[in-house]
Amino acid sequence: MNVTNEQEEYLEAVRRALADLDPTSRGELLEDLPEHLAEVAAEGEGTLVERLGPPEAYAAELRTAAGVGVATAKWSGRFDDRVAAGFRSVRGSLGVADRKVGPVIGYSRFSEFLRLLRPAWWLLRGYLVAMAITVLAGNSQPGLLPRLGGSTLAATLLLAVCLLASIWLGRREPKLPPLARSGLALGGVFLVLFGMVGFDKADNYGGGFSDQPQTISNNPYEFVQDIYAYDENGKPLTNVYLFDQDGNPIRIGDPYRCQESYEFYERAVPDVAVGYPYCPNQQPYQVAPRPGQVRPPDGQLGGPEPTDSAPQPTTTPEPTTTPGPTTTPTPTPTATN
Amino acid sequence: MDTTQLLKGVLDLAVLAVLKDEDGYGYDILRRLRTAGLEEVGDASVYGTLRRLFQAGLLTTYVVPSEEGPHRKYYGLNAAGRDQLQRAGKTWRTFASTMDGLLDERGVAA
Repeated sequence: MNVTNEQEEYLEAVRRALADLDPTSRGELLEDLPEHLAEVAAEGEGTLVERLGPPEAYAAELRTAAGVGVATAKWSGRFDDRVAAGFRSVRGSLGVADRKVGPVIGYSRFSEFLRLLRPAWWLLRGYLVAMAITVLAGNSQPGLLPRLGGSTLAATLLLAVCLLASIWLGRREPKLPPLARSGLALGGVFLVLFGMVGFDKADNYGGGFSDQPQTISNNPYEFVQDIYAYDENGKPLTNVYLFDQDGNPIRIGDPYRCQESYEFYERAVPDVAVGYPYCPNQQPYQVAPRPGQVRPPDGQLGGPEPTDSAPQPTTTPEPTTTPGPTTTPTPTPTATN
Repeated sequence: MDTTQLLKGVLDLAVLAVLKDEDGYGYDILRRLRTAGLEEVGDASVYGTLRRLFQAGLLTTYVVPSEEGPHRKYYGLNAAGRDQLQRAGKTWRTFASTMDGLLDERGVAA
């Protein structure tokens, strides 16, 4: 704002606030004001409103001190004046806060400190623009780099261009027409909002890293140490090899967990040749226990420990003792229902 | 206690006092008051007071052209003004010492 304009505006506002006085008294009261405003402005410290308070308040004080009639209504002016007065009083309080907060952080004014931060804002703005472009380009889960198409090089280039453009714009901002400056300010507000949302999201992703082990532990096979395969008759299979759809061997569990089969694994290197189960001696279903029947000791069931060639004796579920290919001719009492 | 409330009562006297030895223009008078310690005095209050004292016939005014900046309207005490300064000064001193005594008796710290 032009300095002279500011003084004229202030003077005019005081005059309006004294509008109810007769012209002579008003003229006398206002006589010294232009000179005073010039003096105050010459001091060069803050705006007139910051220095003297709102013109309405100045007028009221002048009126009281001079002992002329007090205006009937406090806000006797038009609606415009009242709005302008409200605006000025807000600006005045901001100015006061500006001067009060400044010394706390070691500056004469808080706005002085903020002015120093302007290049930092330009950088942040450039970064936020780059991030906004990324999001607009369809990356719904942006990280912290503006990745376009997942390329780090593109990200760096985009970031550099946006940073430079923002700095360039920032240095030219004072020369822009007021409308363009308002547009920039509005855009800045949007960018800050966008940035706050983005940082909040990124923060959640960041927190997600600590959750990820839990996500992995959702794998139901994580605690599988061995695999026991049975055929349709309940006969345990040994030396079973599992492959996925691509023909890759599926290796789960710990092949070395069985002391007994240590030798076996010595033999089995390379481990591709290792078949399941790793521990044939530790079958989970050697005998399906039945209600009412005492589980006989292992020795009576199948006699020797099962080996590759000696299939595990099982109680076949069939009531008829059909000698399937798996039933062994052991003296095991067949299940009788 | 709010100093501005006290100021209202004694601003006339203060303005007369700072004009006792030397005439001054508005801003100058304001500065003298502030230098003297009345930092909270409002600009408009001073100008309003000057206007009222002038209306009451206690001040003379004259305009001094200035090379740089606006012309300055100087204020000075006339005979009535000096008289008023003497009387108001006495009133104030009596009042102030009465107050001091009142507070001293009751041990209120200065």
